[in-house]
Amino acid sequence: MGNFFQTRVIVSIFSAGIRLATPYLLASIGEMLDQRSGVYNLGIEGIMLIGAFLSFYTSLKTGSLMLGILMAIIVGLLMGLLSAFINVTMKAEQGISGIGIYMFGFGLSGLLFRLTMGAIVTIDGFKSTPIPILSKMPYIGEIFFNQNWMVYLAFLLVPISYIVLFKTTFGLKIRSVGENPSAADSLGVSVEFVRYVCIIIGSVLAALAGAFLTIGQQKAIFVENISAGRGFIAIALVYFGRWQPTGVMIGSLLFSILDALQIRVQIANIGIPYEYAVMAPYIITIIVLVFVAQHRIGGPTALGKPFERCK
Amino acid sequence: MRREEKTRRFLISLLVVVFVLGLTASYGCGKKETKVEKIKIALILPSTKDDMSWSQGMYEGVMDAQKELGVDNVEVNVTEQMPDPVNAGAAIRDYANKGFNIIIAHGSQYQNPVMEVAKDFPNVTFAYGTAFQTATNVFAYDPEAQDGAYIFGVLAAKLTKTKTVGIVGPVKTGDAIKYNYGFKQGVDSIDPSIKVLESYTGSFGDTIKAKEMATAQIEAGADILTGTAQQSVGAIQAVAEKPGVYWFSNDVDQSSLAPDHIIASQAYKWKDVVLYIVDNYKKGKLGGEVISLSLSNGRIEIVFNPKLKSTLITPEIEKLFNETLEKIKNGSIKVKLP
Repeated sequence: MGNFFQTRVIVSIFSAGIRLATPYLLASIGEMLDQRSGVYNLGIEGIMLIGAFLSFYTSLKTGSLMLGILMAIIVGLLMGLLSAFINVTMKAEQGISGIGIYMFGFGLSGLLFRLTMGAIVTIDGFKSTPIPILSKMPYIGEIFFNQNWMVYLAFLLVPISYIVLFKTTFGLKIRSVGENPSAADSLGVSVEFVRYVCIIIGSVLAALAGAFLTIGQQKAIFVENISAGRGFIAIALVYFGRWQPTGVMIGSLLFSILDALQIRVQIANIGIPYEYAVMAPYIITIIVLVFVAQHRIGGPTALGKPFERCK
Repeated sequence: MRREEKTRRFLISLLVVVFVLGLTASYGCGKKETKVEKIKIALILPSTKDDMSWSQGMYEGVMDAQKELGVDNVEVNVTEQMPDPVNAGAAIRDYANKGFNIIIAHGSQYQNPVMEVAKDFPNVTFAYGTAFQTATNVFAYDPEAQDGAYIFGVLAAKLTKTKTVGIVGPVKTGDAIKYNYGFKQGVDSIDPSIKVLESYTGSFGDTIKAKEMATAQIEAGADILTGTAQQSVGAIQAVAEKPGVYWFSNDVDQSSLAPDHIIASQAYKWKDVVLYIVDNYKKGKLGGEVISLSLSNGRIEIVFNPKLKSTLITPEIEKLFNETLEKIKNGSIKVKLP
């Protein structure tokens, strides 16, 4: 037990926690933008899967990881357009259409994998890029500044999305469209346009989260259903984070660090049955959510409601 | 009147003749048909047929058996991605209704649906495993995963430089737990002071989590790792990132995934099991037996990765390997199971 709390172990828990938080953070910052504009996209798990496969396959065929990332962005864009068309233009029930998008992504990624590869193949993904000077700092450097660029990007999105949401006119439009689309509309804001943009950005980020699961790893593979439910957890983290960029980041980090911790608790073999260890991140996250919910900040008022202009 | 009576009698006798002829004809046909009838095999898999582990092993076994028996004599139908036993139960019943002769549900989680459906279709053979419970038309199969694992434990104990080895487990059940027992006892038999790290992801298919778990074990000092289930392809990626860290595989030969890191694989020869089931079916024995797969009956084999065998396995270790294998086969070493 004394052994367990060595600084080496603690550094590795936090470093792993940040690595594990990355796909959640990418996907949930995107989902947060969606929801801020009044649309929830339950399909991001499916978009992650397509992004994971196509970025992997493009990198495998072209030998270029950046082309893989470009492919993830393109497919995210297309899936975003599709989701936005269904939810905004066709005004579909968002819960149902989201599940549809998920099933579509799940099936399509598996089918494409079958048709094109048919076997598990390993390629080299992105290596970690230590940030000069900062990565040399004791402990902190190892934890924060010795990761790959996708990790840095995910965490940079927190201040960026904060500035966009709260300090720019477009952010104001997003929030007003999510709170009161009729009022926004009467002031000349195009509700449809704002929602389209938010859903597309959200889908691109989900596809990048998928790409992180494949080519964002030093040794990359694709297997069917590689995301294993991470997209759905990302949606839950948006609620946990109360639609705030920092809240979403805290949720992602809390959940991931607890996961990294429980893995090491198991390895340290201090007599806790593994079932409890595996459950711990979920249970503790729920408990924290209960306390956070005490001072409730509601979600965007128009969340989930298709916009109908009054005639 | 009379003429009418005559024609009627004639027509009735004609009908009778046609009827009798038809009966005998169809009887003959039926007999002939059963003789050339194809054997229809249905396979239900918890994950995908290309998962590089548990499901792929059985899928290839069935396909190889089909090749051996002749593609014209055997029809194979596969349903994948059935981790949930309730859905699998519906698929099993569906196959039985469609007239499949042999239905293989490849997982221990399918015990209840298999037993339930088997009662309603006494002429269909069912097989599932890892399991022990059988019925007159249900075969169970049981790979003795612990035996190969014991040998891997012995090799790992000889090869580790850090005196620490690791097991990346899926869920503490069935095959996985037997394998892990065998590995630990193998390590202990060489050097009880070697630390065996053991942890479980709580899932069979979460490759990313398995990878993180393997990374954590490597950070804690393990330089030889092993593990079972579909997720192991994820753990192998963590091993592949670290030079000088090695992996022992289960289910199928996985060495193509990390040619510089996988020392050996314990491969199940499912083809032999399938052929055995088909053979029994033809003889009219539809179940009632636990089919064991073991090193001694040749249904399990240990495949070395030739690339690493030449560099890592010294003549001394190879001798120890052969001795241990022999002792496992003749029963003088028996892995204790819980």
